[in-house]
Amino acid sequence: MSRAGRLRAQFGADWRSFVRRRTAVFFTFLFPVILVVIFGALVRTAPTGGGLFTEAPGWYVPGYLAVVVLFTPLTRIGSEVARHREGNRFEKLATTPLTRAEWLLAQTLVNVVVIGLAAALILALVWALTGAGFAASPYLVPFVAAGVALFCGVGALLGRLSDSQDGAVAAANAVGLPLLFLSETFVPLDLLPGWFAPLVNLSPLTYFARGVRAATVGGAPGQGAWTGGSPATNIAVLSALALVAFVAGAAAIPRTE
Amino acid sequence: MSDPAVEVENVAKTYGETTALSGVSLSVGEGEVFGLLGPNGAGKTTLVRAITGTTAVDEGAVRVFGSSPGRIDRSRLGVLPQSFSPPGRLTARELLSYYGGLYDRSRPVDAVLDAVGLADAADTRYANLSGGQQRRVCLGTALVNDPDLLVLDEPTTGIDPAGRREVRRRIADLAAGGATVLLTTHDIDETERLVDRVALLSAGEVAATGAPSALVREHGGAPRLVVETAAGPEAVGDAYEVEATDRGLAFPGVDPSGIGGVVEALDDRGVEYAALRWSRPGLEDVYLRLTGTGTTRVTAGSLNEVAGDGGGGSQ
Repeated sequence: MSRAGRLRAQFGADWRSFVRRRTAVFFTFLFPVILVVIFGALVRTAPTGGGLFTEAPGWYVPGYLAVVVLFTPLTRIGSEVARHREGNRFEKLATTPLTRAEWLLAQTLVNVVVIGLAAALILALVWALTGAGFAASPYLVPFVAAGVALFCGVGALLGRLSDSQDGAVAAANAVGLPLLFLSETFVPLDLLPGWFAPLVNLSPLTYFARGVRAATVGGAPGQGAWTGGSPATNIAVLSALALVAFVAGAAAIPRTE
Repeated sequence: MSDPAVEVENVAKTYGETTALSGVSLSVGEGEVFGLLGPNGAGKTTLVRAITGTTAVDEGAVRVFGSSPGRIDRSRLGVLPQSFSPPGRLTARELLSYYGGLYDRSRPVDAVLDAVGLADAADTRYANLSGGQQRRVCLGTALVNDPDLLVLDEPTTGIDPAGRREVRRRIADLAAGGATVLLTTHDIDETERLVDRVALLSAGEVAATGAPSALVREHGGAPRLVVETAAGPEAVGDAYEVEATDRGLAFPGVDPSGIGGVVEALDDRGVEYAALRWSRPGLEDVYLRLTGTGTTRVTAGSLNEVAGDGGGGSQ
């Protein structure tokens, strides 16, 4: 039982802690709803050229999903690490059989469930409010899981570097905001300066956006500047990056406060 | 003494320019209740972390049940870190179930709840428990795996006297059950009540180690009689060694049988006084003397109490 039992115990504690923080639950789901309503239903897109959104509604599906796949793990894990440090919980856990990787894996699994539910809500809202056409590809599941794992790892790193919960949230916002808009999520490559295009490839979120877009709307005409890569290629890159970030995040988790 | 559960040999640890531990050596026998006593910053928590493997030492060696702390079977260890605060939205039962679930084998949650006296508050969220109850939950998390070595870093800090008494009682029960207990504290009363032996830490070094009574005998100094008076030492004459204190006059080395002679001498010389207090040195005197944290304090007890008691310890 060992590892499975430890994961089950840690997952159960993390899940209960999350669902009993009512404001956290409320805003975790409200934030993407607000985003879809404002940008998808109120601002709307202008695919004939110009305007804030120049692509067809379906093109932005990866962007809406990226909001929760990126920000929720960054802020939740970052602040959770800070919370654990403030309560000397890591020092306690370091004296139990639970490893740091198991702790982060349990946290990641909780986030996969939470963000999976939020992602389903977003897809339903996008479909209902924007009339976007997209396929409910099975690829969405591994893309969301890999993306969450990746940013849980990064969140753990931010939590290690921050000295408080407030600091962790601020750091998550500082890291997340540029990634969100410079990873082919909401801003197509052709709206960015030419010299900047290679830098987009450095963002792990780019592979999430490209892969989800390829899986849900493909590269069909009228779907905007889809810059390529199959879902399989992008999930492979994203998974590799997720593994690196997860290992780095697990190693960064402190043993004392 | 039985085989050592914990051996610390010449351990040193620094944080930047700060020396946390320097040349620390001690040994804790299996089944022993061992205290680490010292002022804030003495190195107690660093030593505990070295023993539990949550910090690496710069020099020296630490062995727990014959192994380095990093290699020990963690199911043999139960640790209550200083200022530990578990997730506040879980109930006492859920918290014990959670920490118990991290081990292959754990005690039944209800048994642990009983052991820490929380059966009636089992389904109350941690954040809604009193300070004493919270600390008992924390103590419970160190007991769920039925450890061979229990390490408690300031287990009663921050809780009220009734809570402290309850936690002490639980620790005493555990010790009576045969567990090896290593606890840190700066509460002298707690140390005298609970431990078999104590190490006094000061500025990262062990100032003395031994049973509290032995330390008092060796380092406590002489008993003393304090006379609360406005008179100065010259009023007594040369018959006795006398020291001026903030309370009046102190007569070191006066046993209870010698109190009558001092009273006669005071009366003969017409020295007026408000009260006589006699005390024998306690662990607190040893602590203050060896850790350099203050001058020896005379613990108060009335002459009547002395006559009626005549027993050991500070009055």
